[in-house]
Amino acid sequence: MNRAGPRIAAVLLGVACVAWPAVPVLSTGWPWLALIVAAASVAFSGLRMALLDVPEPEEAYFLSLPGRAWRSFLTAVRLPPWEEIGGAFVLWLEVLHPSRPWHTAILGIVLIAWLLTVHIAESDAPAAGLLRRQARVLVPGLCLLALAAGASALPAVSPGAGAEALEVLAAAAVIAAAILVLPG
Amino acid sequence: MTLHLRMAKPDGQAVTRVSAGSGGLVVTPREVTVRWRLSRHSRRLLTVALLALLLAVLSRRPELAGVAAPALLLLAAGLPRQARPARVSVLVKPGATRLFEGEPGWVDIGLGDDGAAAGGPAGLAGFDARWAFQPGKGIEPASATAVSAATARFEFTIPRWGKRRAGLAELQLHDRWRLTEGRAVVPLPSLDVYPRPGIQEETVTLSRLPSRLGEHVARVPGEGAEFAGLREYVPGDRQRQINWPASTRRGRLMVNTFAAERSQDVVLIVDATSDVGEPGTSALDYALRGAAAAARAYLGRRDRVGVITYQWGSAGWLAPSLGRRQVYKIIDSMLQADATWTQGASFARLPRAALPPGALVVAFSPLLDQRFVESLRDLRERGFALLVVDVLNVSPPARRLALPRGTDTLARKVWQMEQQAIRFSLRELGVPVVHWNGTAPLDLPLAPYTRRPLVVRR
Repeated sequence: MNRAGPRIAAVLLGVACVAWPAVPVLSTGWPWLALIVAAASVAFSGLRMALLDVPEPEEAYFLSLPGRAWRSFLTAVRLPPWEEIGGAFVLWLEVLHPSRPWHTAILGIVLIAWLLTVHIAESDAPAAGLLRRQARVLVPGLCLLALAAGASALPAVSPGAGAEALEVLAAAAVIAAAILVLPG
Repeated sequence: MTLHLRMAKPDGQAVTRVSAGSGGLVVTPREVTVRWRLSRHSRRLLTVALLALLLAVLSRRPELAGVAAPALLLLAAGLPRQARPARVSVLVKPGATRLFEGEPGWVDIGLGDDGAAAGGPAGLAGFDARWAFQPGKGIEPASATAVSAATARFEFTIPRWGKRRAGLAELQLHDRWRLTEGRAVVPLPSLDVYPRPGIQEETVTLSRLPSRLGEHVARVPGEGAEFAGLREYVPGDRQRQINWPASTRRGRLMVNTFAAERSQDVVLIVDATSDVGEPGTSALDYALRGAAAAARAYLGRRDRVGVITYQWGSAGWLAPSLGRRQVYKIIDSMLQADATWTQGASFARLPRAALPPGALVVAFSPLLDQRFVESLRDLRERGFALLVVDVLNVSPPARRLALPRGTDTLARKVWQMEQQAIRFSLRELGVPVVHWNGTAPLDLPLAPYTRRPLVVRR
């Protein structure tokens, strides 16, 4: 259970990441494609973690057909960057979603939590120690996320694309400033 | 350092402990190159952050830029600022470089002194080390294959004889937040895995032994300890040899006579031309185990033992010699055996030194190769005392689906008759052929020949 806990948590968080921006599903911007790819990525990510301890069949001059199939399956599950693919398509779904800024902020929290849990599950690192060390960075990061969501919730000073672009630039500038200020 | 090798019965019970005198396992630190890169975790964080920023710009939604913030802060704060070593020193120390089949082995591996690592080297302070063991072909891990520490011990067993590479050890160094990782691959040493010797306590002794001091009781009188008979006293006989009860009964002085004690030359022939059966219980496995057992038994009786390994294209050989080291020389020589087929290959003529005149020749063979059988006949015709241990324990499969019904049974019968004919022809030449199943002690099939000296008709 000690090792299964983070793996189960990672799968659940992955499912939450996909489900959160997927409901309700829109008809424009190929949301079905994004949903299918994101769901498949989370599923394969979970499968990869479930098979972390399974050794690959030994290299043999003549491997049996089931042996070769099993080896190819393990390679197909282990090699592709499923979490990156899943994260990208989850963000695509979120862009398509007619959501409020707080919706995106919650997705951001769940997404980071998913990536951290996957990392803990596959590295077998002690979760408490790792999170305690990273808390001084995660907390300012989440504050910035809340700040960006709050800023976008405020009505723009002037209508038009220019004001929205300025808001994005301001958010990016705040993040850059935080990176520079934060001690290593 | 002396390497101790344990010889075990098939049931695993240790019976003998011998010293192989490895001459010491010298452990020298080895420099390996470390390749550094972003970890999978940081690649994920970077991908999500950059994509979120891109989408924020494209969709003009600042909250998406906020999604990138935690990931970017983690990357910026977590990436190590200290220099990452391009090379590290590694110590590799195998428990033994020579093992018997199934004997547990291990290899200790650790970071050298130049880096008081993650728990160890000074140059690697701030980095955690993790060792992963990738066993070589034919190596079965017997312990955890990954250890998060500066030093690790990986245990394994090797079920089949041969020269094996222990495998690779992969060193993974990562920083405190596991955002960068360095990888280095350390090749582990090669191991000589000896066939597990069978059990043989008794030896076959020739009726005619060369005139060389040994432990076998010869038929000629001599200075041994074995009582041979009585004869009349002649001037010059030692007084202590007088048998007083016999002298009293016969009324004249009688003296005891003793048998001479001689040693013999034994040449073991291993047929490596055909290897049939499952790996681990194949004919070649049994031949090597039987030959190893015979070498131990005869060398234990102070005989001179040599070995000839017949294989396609050539024959490896080792001249008969004495001593415990000869066991290891013989097994090393046999490990060169290669059952691969070479087109047009023929047996090379054996050097005279490999087969001393009057030697006892013990062949371990499945008797499947006609040319090997011919060379056995040739040896017999040259007057050598020959004994064949048949190690064939498999037969062709009973049913092949591709063949018409009945054909396979007929082919099987023909094959069996051919095998019987080969053995019959050897027996007709005066060559005893005994069958060994590979698991029972060799003493059982050899019993008819170990109870009394083997008489050779020339």
